[in-house]
Amino acid sequence: MNLMLNILLNVTIAFLLGSLLFGLQRKVMARIQMRPGPPIIQHLLHTLKFYIKESTFPKTAAMPFYIAIASILCVIWVSAVIVGPVAQGSLLLIFAIYALHKIVEHNAGSSSGSPYGKLSCVRAVFSAAAEVPLFAVLIIIYLKTGTMVLSDITAYQAQNGALLFTIPLAALMFFVLILSKAPYSPFAITKGKDIISGYETEHFGLLRGYLMISESIAWYMLLWIFLTVFLGPLSLLGYLVGMVIISVIVAFINATTPMLNPNHSIMVQVTLVFIGIVGSIILLML
Amino acid sequence: MKTLTITSYLMFIISIAGIVYAMVANPPAWIVYAIAILFIPLSILSFGLMIMAQSKKEEEDERAREPFIGY
Repeated sequence: MNLMLNILLNVTIAFLLGSLLFGLQRKVMARIQMRPGPPIIQHLLHTLKFYIKESTFPKTAAMPFYIAIASILCVIWVSAVIVGPVAQGSLLLIFAIYALHKIVEHNAGSSSGSPYGKLSCVRAVFSAAAEVPLFAVLIIIYLKTGTMVLSDITAYQAQNGALLFTIPLAALMFFVLILSKAPYSPFAITKGKDIISGYETEHFGLLRGYLMISESIAWYMLLWIFLTVFLGPLSLLGYLVGMVIISVIVAFINATTPMLNPNHSIMVQVTLVFIGIVGSIILLML
Repeated sequence: MKTLTITSYLMFIISIAGIVYAMVANPPAWIVYAIAILFIPLSILSFGLMIMAQSKKEEEDERAREPFIGY
């Protein structure tokens, strides 16, 4: 297939499926809390609604950075789609993209001039201290497979079985990372309701829609990486079922767990990093 | 607002032209990646700026006057 067409197709699928999975999450959360909940396409409808809304830019915003930072979020997750499903490239690039995502959270908060954004900006730095080490789970994968390239990792699993069963603690660490990126998650301290919408508070209208498009792509990509790295070569149906299952599990956790305060969130994540890395190394030595 | 509209139209035309070029001319992979990374987000943003709802003439003053701006 034409390369550009392939990229466009993958980005579109990532956006649509990511949006629907977010919608599914809200639906499952609502049903657990004995509410009917919004339809599954609600997140997609919200994104489109924001996208065409009248937008004004706050006087306190640092222009043009205020708009550029929303674009950067889209740039990095489109890059992730290229590195992942399109080119089957290196996990190190995905790590860099995730680190940039944390920087976007930080700078989106500070660029608006809103006090809620600034609080979220501080929390983004705080949470980066725990989430970036969680992504260091890649080291365990490298130690096990001897490669960082996605296509090689998939080939390794085709021969030796899924990594989920050989390095389960590394998979758990990655799952916590995915959980941290879900809305209403116990670790979602940068978007906690105590600070309105966190770093997105002053990004409304078109820019909010733009951010939501990128976040949907990000959610799809995180699930795609988890499934590819820990469950090996999967069919399209396999990916779809896997993504739905993970989203439902995340929704169940989010619906039954309150959001932790920032200190507790970081401590829980850091503890999991410690258990994950030390435990995985011990498992590798056995 | 007029500058914003003109800029967004320009950005949209440039980004769509870049994407179509990558699709039709089949340049080397790294050029296609560069075009995709830059122009897909740019086309989404510029398209949004073009189609977003605009305030009516009589509402413009109301939009510009903010009740509180001193954070």
